Amino acid sequence: MSMTLTIDRSHGRIAVVALRGEIDLQQSPELRRELMQCLNDRWDVVVDMARVEYIDSSGIASLVEAFQTARRLGIRFSLAAVSSAALRVLKLARLDEVFVIHAATPAALAADA
Amino acid sequence: MPDTHAVLRPYQRQLDLIAEMSQEFAASRNIDETLQHGLERVAEFVGAEAASLFLIDEDSGELICRACFGPVDIRGLRLKPGHGIIGRTVAKNVTTIVKDARTDPDFGALIDEKTGFTTESILCAPLSVRDQRLGAIELINKAGGGIFHPGDRQLLQALGASAALAILNARLTAAMVQQERLRRELELAAEIQRGMLPSSIADDSPIMGVNKPAHEVSGDFFDILELPDGRIAFAIGDVSGKGINAALLMAKTSSLFRCLAKFHRRPSKLLSAINDELCETATTGGMFVTMAAGLFDPASGSLLLANAGHEPALLRHRDGRFTATSAGSPPLGIAAGLVPPDMPEAWLTLAGGALYLFTDGLTESRCDKVMLGAQGVRRLIGEMAPRPLAQRLDAIIARLAPEGVPLRDDLTLLIIEDRRPPPLLAKRFDACPECLCDLRHEVEAAARAGGCDAEAAADVVLAVDEACQNIIRHGYAGVGEVVLDIRHVEGTGLVVQLIDFAPPVDVDKIKPRPLDEVRPGGLGTHFILSAMDEVAFVPPPEGAGNMLKMIKAIP
Repeated sequence: MSMTLTIDRSHGRIAVVALRGEIDLQQSPELRRELMQCLNDRWDVVVDMARVEYIDSSGIASLVEAFQTARRLGIRFSLAAVSSAALRVLKLARLDEVFVIHAATPAALAADA
Repeated sequence: MPDTHAVLRPYQRQLDLIAEMSQEFAASRNIDETLQHGLERVAEFVGAEAASLFLIDEDSGELICRACFGPVDIRGLRLKPGHGIIGRTVAKNVTTIVKDARTDPDFGALIDEKTGFTTESILCAPLSVRDQRLGAIELINKAGGGIFHPGDRQLLQALGASAALAILNARLTAAMVQQERLRRELELAAEIQRGMLPSSIADDSPIMGVNKPAHEVSGDFFDILELPDGRIAFAIGDVSGKGINAALLMAKTSSLFRCLAKFHRRPSKLLSAINDELCETATTGGMFVTMAAGLFDPASGSLLLANAGHEPALLRHRDGRFTATSAGSPPLGIAAGLVPPDMPEAWLTLAGGALYLFTDGLTESRCDKVMLGAQGVRRLIGEMAPRPLAQRLDAIIARLAPEGVPLRDDLTLLIIEDRRPPPLLAKRFDACPECLCDLRHEVEAAARAGGCDAEAAADVVLAVDEACQNIIRHGYAGVGEVVLDIRHVEGTGLVVQLIDFAPPVDVDKIKPRPLDEVRPGGLGTHFILSAMDEVAFVPPPEGAGNMLKMIKAIP
């Protein structure tokens, strides 16, 4: 199953980027592009990872790059409802302590509001 | 009716002597002694002053005095072929009486001059059996100044024929004794040589061989040596030439292999050491040894092979394709240093296939009267491939060397087989970003089938995915062919092999990046190392660029 990416911009300044499926070398360029677009348009970003079944180093790299860009621009960037498969990989990279991770998207929205 | 006894009486003494001497000749155990005794008896009987017996020397053709009677001992005296009255008698093969030797043009006065003896009359009879001329017997000077008469001549002729037969018998017996001795020695040599071939190969061994000598002894050999670490050293060799000298050089070479294989873990170094030793200590007299040696790792189904002038090794892949491998050096035993310790080696991954090593007796053997040849060998191997290893060896040999048909050359065949259970996943594909999704699912299924729980399977999936990414992004910088093999190895766990054909990577440069450095990229290697229990680049098979071996332990 490949990745589907939807962006919900109905939460004020916050764009909720919902990822679904498997994020790998084939899909990560699209993820990177969409995240960068949001950030360049000055949206705060919450990445909903509840339905991420697989993510590899290229997908993680896209998230890291977005995280760094957001920080430079002073924009909020967080992950929410990270699936166990994705959390496992984040932990493997010890990035679980670098990203702001919310238990669920509503919590993320409340925190960012 | 005439009185037979009365008729025979005048000849009775002659007949008695002929009968006695014939019996003595027939029963002789020491031909020189018997000839000497016979010569003395006949000289006394006929009443000759002197007598001598000359035999033709088979090497020089000269006549050599082997027995004599009379005042002068001339034993050992040599006459040129055709020389003197003796020589003439041998040449013409007729008995002659010479009444006055000094008037005979062939008479050689040399002996008389040397010995002071005076030769007057001569009776000389040839020693021959049918057309085979052996020498002549000569009586000199009838006692009392008389001359030899026809009765003497007949007697000497009869005794000469009898003596000739005895000489021939003695020679044949000696030749037979010698032949029998050689045959026994050859049998012993063959037995010792058979003892040099590996005898205690287990029925389930992944390496088996067979050697069928064309004659008693063989110039071929093979050996299989299990090492304490589970790997197996093996070798096959063919000494140029046949016969005992080839067999002796074979014995030396195979002994050197057995001894040195325990110390050298690289076949290149091993062959180099054997070559130096052969050149240092053996007088090979133009002989040389073609030999291939290798080290097989049954756990990974891969092997290192070095080839010193031997027939190319033939790898039959699981899918029936053949690859010939011949990288190597000149044969052994020609000159020290000709087989350097860094001679080329091939790294072969059998991947469910089998490697065939053989001597030229195989390629040059006749099958339906036609030389088998390289193509014929492949056809035959392909035909026999479905049979289990031991039966396959027997079937191939039975085809090429049916019982009762003499072999033209020694026949030796060694087969190394990848006996591991079939892989959980074996795949050759073009690695591209688009194919990784399907690949992950196949890898996950294989890992689960191989005994991994969900989490371990996820680790294997991640590692394979990341490794493929590295190949796509850094190896090929695009799409490229990858060979993936995943199998369960008892006691080890899940073994993943990933082969690519990209330029070899500089292993030192592949390092996981420090994790406290937050930046995109460079995580893949860290993921692989974290997800798997063992990760290493191992020498790739011939023609490949890199081979990554990863192991996930299964508790």
